[in-house]
Order: sequence, then C-alpha cells, then structure tokens
Amino acid sequence: MREDRHVVGVQEKPETLDDSALIAQSVIDPERFAVLFDRHADEIHRYAARRLGAEPAEDVTGEVFLVAFRVRARYDRTWPDARPWLYGIATKVVAQHRRAERRRIHAMSKVGAERPGSFDDRSADRVTAEQLQPRLARALTRLSAAERDLLLLVAWADLTYEDAALALGVPVGTVRSRLHRLRVKVRRALGGIDPFAEEPQHG
Amino acid sequence: MDDEIRTFADGRPAAPPYPAEARAKARDRLLREAREGRGFRFPKLGWQAAAAFGVTVALVGGVAVALSAQQPKLGVATSAAQSAATQSAAVLDGDLRPKPGQFIMVASDTMYSSFSQANGKMTRYLYRTHREIWQSADASADGLLLIAGLAPKPWPGEPLPKEAQKWKGESWMQLASCPARLAAFRTDHAYLSTLPPDPALMRSFLYKRQPGGKGEADRAAFVAAGDLVRETYMPKAQRDALFEAAKEIPGVQVADGVEDSAGRQGVALGRESQGILEQLIFDRDTHMLLGERHTVVDAKAAGAPVDSVLALTAQLKVSVVDRLPEHAPKVERDDSCTPQPGATTDSTEQPTALPTDEATDLLSDGPSDVPSDGPSDVPSDGSIYKPTDGPTDEPPAPVPTKTG
Repeated sequence: MREDRHVVGVQEKPETLDDSALIAQSVIDPERFAVLFDRHADEIHRYAARRLGAEPAEDVTGEVFLVAFRVRARYDRTWPDARPWLYGIATKVVAQHRRAERRRIHAMSKVGAERPGSFDDRSADRVTAEQLQPRLARALTRLSAAERDLLLLVAWADLTYEDAALALGVPVGTVRSRLHRLRVKVRRALGGIDPFAEEPQHG
Repeated sequence: MDDEIRTFADGRPAAPPYPAEARAKARDRLLREAREGRGFRFPKLGWQAAAAFGVTVALVGGVAVALSAQQPKLGVATSAAQSAATQSAAVLDGDLRPKPGQFIMVASDTMYSSFSQANGKMTRYLYRTHREIWQSADASADGLLLIAGLAPKPWPGEPLPKEAQKWKGESWMQLASCPARLAAFRTDHAYLSTLPPDPALMRSFLYKRQPGGKGEADRAAFVAAGDLVRETYMPKAQRDALFEAAKEIPGVQVADGVEDSAGRQGVALGRESQGILEQLIFDRDTHMLLGERHTVVDAKAAGAPVDSVLALTAQLKVSVVDRLPEHAPKVERDDSCTPQPGATTDSTEQPTALPTDEATDLLSDGPSDVPSDGPSDVPSDGSIYKPTDGPTDEPPAPVPTKTG
C-alpha cells in the first residue's frame, strides 16, 4: 500500500533525494527547501550574474529561491531535476531588471568605442572578464526580450531545448521555431561586422 | 548546438563568485521564510518574549482583545500565560471582530524539524521557538514577526548537532503585506472572512488553493487546511466549515483527546505523509486551532522511531490589537512584495516599476501546468473588506521600523 511512497519515502536523507522528492517533502517540512538552495544557488547566481552583473545577481538569486519556495506546492513532480523550474523563475525575476539589463548590454556593446565609466572600485581584469564581447552584446540588442531569454538559457545555462521549454512554459516546438528565428537575427547581427576582427580589449 | 548559439556559449562572460556573505544571507532569508513564513508555516506562542515589552494585559481567557486605540503596546499575558494555556479549551471561544487597520496577533510555541546540508553532510534536529506574529486584519499594512529561540531537542535517537546550539536570541521581522501577489495564498482575516462558510465549498477551495500533482491532491488539500488556520484568525463560520471539509479529505483520521504542546486536549484531524502522522488539533467546540503534532508511524519512511514526535506546537493566544508593538529594536526588512532592481553600475538607473500582471505571473510560472490563478470564486484582493462595526477613525497603523 505504501509501495509508491517508498520510492521517495524510503530515502529519508535529503541529499539522497532528487529535487522533485525534496520539493515534495518541503511542502510538509519547509526547511528542507534549504537543501535545494544549497544545491543550486551557485548555478542560479552565475546565470544571474552573467545577465545582470555581480551586484544585482545577489538580489536576484535570493528572490528566485524565495519565489520558488512560495510556489513549491505547484511544482510538477514528474520532473526530477528542479533546475529548469528554477531557471524559469530566474528568467521572470531577471525580467524585472529588464531596463538595467538593456543598459548593461548597451554599455558592453560599446566597449572599445568608449569606456564605461564605472570601473572604479574593482579589478579591471575581473570586470573585463565579466563583460560580454561587444559584438555579442550588439547582437543581443537585436533580439526581443523573449528571444534573449531563450538564447541565454540555452547558451549560458546549458539547458536542453526540452529544459528550456519547461523553464519558459512553452512547448518544445515553440522553442525550436523561436531558436530558428533568433539564429537568423543573430547571424545577421554578427555578420554586420567582420567576424574575424578582434575586438579591442580594454581594461 | 548551432553555430550562433555556440558563439554565445563560448563567449559567455565570466561569472563572479557568489560572495559567501550574500549567499549566507539569502539562505538565511529562505530558512526564515520556511520557519516562520507568512501563512505557510507555523504558529507559536511567546509569553517569555513578552517580558521584553511592557505589558498591558487584556486577556479574556486565551483570547485577548485590546481595543484601546491609545494602547501603544500589545496586550500580552506574561505570568498568566501558563494558566491561560491550560484552560484555553474553554476560553478559545472568543469571537474577534477586527476592524480594518487593526492587527491580529497570534502567539505560539513551536517545535519542528530542522534539516540542513553543508559540505554534503546532513544534520537534523528539532528546533523550538516562541513566535508572535502581527498581521494586518485587512492586509492593508505590513505585519511583524517576533521569533525567540528555545532550547532545541535532538532528532530522536541522534545526538544534538553542533549547529543546533546557536538557538539563543530573538529576531524581529517585517512581514510585507502583498495581497495582490499572494492572491489565494492570503491568510489575513479579511480574506479568510470571504471564504465559503459551507463545508462543500470550503472543500473545493482547499483542493483548488494548492493543487497537488497526481495522487497528491488530498495531501495538498490537507496542507492547505493547516496553512489557513495556522497563525491566523478565521471567523467561526469559516472555521466550522474548514473543520468539516478537512475531516472529509480522504486519508484524514479523526482522533479525540490529542494534546498540544501546552497540554491542552482537542480533536485532531491527522493525515499520514512520509511515515508521519500529521495532526491539526482543534478545540472541540470552537474549532480554533490549538496546535499541531507530528508523530512517526513508519520508522523507515520517517527516519525516526515509531511514536517519536517530530513536531509539536501550541497556539496559545489570538488577539486583536490596534497597532504593532513599538519595542522592536531592530527589524529585518521584508522587500518580498516589491523586488527592487539591484544596484547597477549605472547610477542613473531608475527602478523599473513592476507591472502587476507580471508580479502575479511570478507566482505562477514554472513547469507546472496547473492554472496559476487562485480559485476564481474567491476574491483576490483586500478591497472586499467591509467593516462590521461601523466607521472607524483610528489613526493608521504605524509602519514597522525599517532598518538598512
């Protein structure tokens, strides 16, 4: 009678549970959700930092897990890995910073032409490494917000098409067709400059 | 991966490390939400903490009503609390009628299990707290939460882990009121008053509020019942309906004479989950929540010996107060309603207003295909609140002190 439950219930230690079982337990034992944070916070932070920069990423990461915690009862437990779900929430939270992101991308797209004025208090090397190449930044500016979300989930978060579909709440067919469209746009944008020219590296 | 995407993948910017301090803060914030969460978690009672305020007592049995607008501090029983607790079955019959702008204060004692994972190692124990929570009766103002640590207990059959020793102290937290965002997850009095006072309708609300996956619907409904009565004040008609509705959830067992952590007996509605019988203990007549008790029934599934108790609480006092207590030296801010864009490198950046629909959307997105909206027959904002006691002209409730 308890056969099915044992699939998750017999493993009482959170570190042996998959994300889905952990989230299921966290509905009853909310604190278990902290284990999910332990597992994935660094990864979500990396993604947020790539998109928005170091400081906003800290707030975004915290917010992602708070939101996830609050909606955990609605997690689709047929998915053992919570990462696509977390990335989906991260995408929504990042979207709240859309204007900041646009400014950031815009600024990065002009490195070389003019130097952004906010390098003051950090290592210039590190900041340089955290910048997107100007030509890629320029290409990003040609994409819609939804296209950017999809592209970066696949390219920076390494989600499969299926995972990206899950994260964005769209059918995988939609992901494929959107990717096709955005590839064309990106190709055009990248082709607009000499692809072999090295971007000047300032720092 | 296609070439264009590969180009972006290869060109991904380096990510800065997640600063340990920020990471710890975020984790802590999450844990706090888990332990103390608005509506998602537990009640507690704190008469020991009450000594920290001056005390102006207006205690009617277990239900204190402090209606004086001049009263700057909440009414909390101190020495009377223990006796109040033991006689509460008789006294928890107060019918509170909070007005808009007032606060519901609930005080409770809790013990729940704590799990954490560090360096791949899991630790667990039973943590205990006193809690006092103030929530705007009509969600019109931010609330406040006081948590005072109590000596923890070891997980049954295991030694107390080192990290459990850090229980001392108390903390104050602002509880941001975001009725629009919480929608059907609201637990303020005004919202609870709009729930159907009919068992069948209440039942369907329970099933819709927190839809579970396949085979999880009954459990989710039972969890929803607990969330609605924990640290809240629901009118009698809704309490009765909720009790009857929860009783009929498949798997729910009724038991009489179950004791809460204050030794009060009541009728328990329990449901087994993961080898643990989780009981909500109600006053037999008033259907006020007395407390909760989680008892192991399957050692293997629960990871603890049969009959050991993994959670035990008592909700000792529910009262109406005009304002938040003033003795909150340091209050942790709660920005969860209005996420601010983080600092950017561009100082001219203006905060981006968050469209309402996007905020609502936040709560609903993810791989789940369950409809995100709350039950459509339940109002989702505080505007339906109608004072029953005539016009009020109390001054607006003070906003909790903000720090940082």
